Amino acid sequence: MKVTVKILRYDPEKDQRPHYQTYQVDAEPTDWVLDLLERIKGDQDGSLSFRRSCAHGICGSDAMRINGMNRLACKTLLQDLHSHTIVVEPLLGLPIIKDLVVDMEPFFDHYKSVMPYLVNDEQAPMRERLQSPAERERFDDTTKCILCAACTTSCPSFWANGDYIGPAAIVNAHRFIFDSRDRASSERLRILNGQFGVFRCHTIFNCTQACPREIQITKAIGEVKKAIATGNLD
Amino acid sequence: MAVSKNAWLTGLRYRGGDNMLVWMLHRISGLAMVLFVGAHILSSFFTQQLGSTWGIALNTIYESPYFQIFLYFFVIFHVINGLRIILLDFFPKLLEYQRELTWLEWIIFIPIFGLSVFITVIKILNGG
Repeated sequence: MKVTVKILRYDPEKDQRPHYQTYQVDAEPTDWVLDLLERIKGDQDGSLSFRRSCAHGICGSDAMRINGMNRLACKTLLQDLHSHTIVVEPLLGLPIIKDLVVDMEPFFDHYKSVMPYLVNDEQAPMRERLQSPAERERFDDTTKCILCAACTTSCPSFWANGDYIGPAAIVNAHRFIFDSRDRASSERLRILNGQFGVFRCHTIFNCTQACPREIQITKAIGEVKKAIATGNLD
Repeated sequence: MAVSKNAWLTGLRYRGGDNMLVWMLHRISGLAMVLFVGAHILSSFFTQQLGSTWGIALNTIYESPYFQIFLYFFVIFHVINGLRIILLDFFPKLLEYQRELTWLEWIIFIPIFGLSVFITVIKILNGG
């Protein structure tokens, strides 16, 4: 079948502002959107820029807006879009470097600000720091994040103010806040209680809907809000 | 040189589905209520403090039954949706069932709003 792919293009050396360019591509319903982009770049227009790496939904490189919603191009089948016209645009709220490539630095700055690593200065045991299955289960959902930025860039609070720490950073803070081995929960909660912290979330649910890993992001944010309000991690 | 688009305006076209629609309605209804209350205060001020006919003009607008149907929509929606959000904030476990809660919200909203509209329409038919 013939598919029309409309891509928001922007070349900083030529264009004043982003504009749409349309391509006709032969495709199968079982093709991924990433396959189409590869075909356009390979056969029609080598100047098209986009990020991709593993192409299996693990690396999180190819998050973009597909038909108006954030998705991974390598996890989106044409048949699931129910349309012969596909609009591909870069993520919202981050500066566009070229075509579908956005500047991820602001995103990773927020991520780094929540100390996304285990903090425990206590004497390490002879073997591993033990944890029960129930304690591990407590933060299992938020370990699945691949840092694709689909959630943060789907959030109206982040569009309105780029200083908002964003859902991805909160998810990664949640992963350590509720880890029984970690000792920096109170410091992370203090950071997330700041002016641009967790209370900028207005429970809109765009993040949960956009997450390609199906993480219950709004629930994780809700748990962090409650931990800050009650001072209790249960 | 990277370019930043006005994500706030472009974001209105983001296809967030019913969740985003509910959030936008909550924002719009909040603003609408500020306007309604503002008009009421202004009307009282013009009428009682200045004896101006502006107060009567404002009264005529916001006391009209057609205007009140909009008022009912925004106030009832804002209250029920606000309660849903408070419930979710107090009990984060319920966030897993947010879709069902949104449906429940509409199930509660529709009869209350419908009844308000019905009573208003009856009043209009009876000559206000």
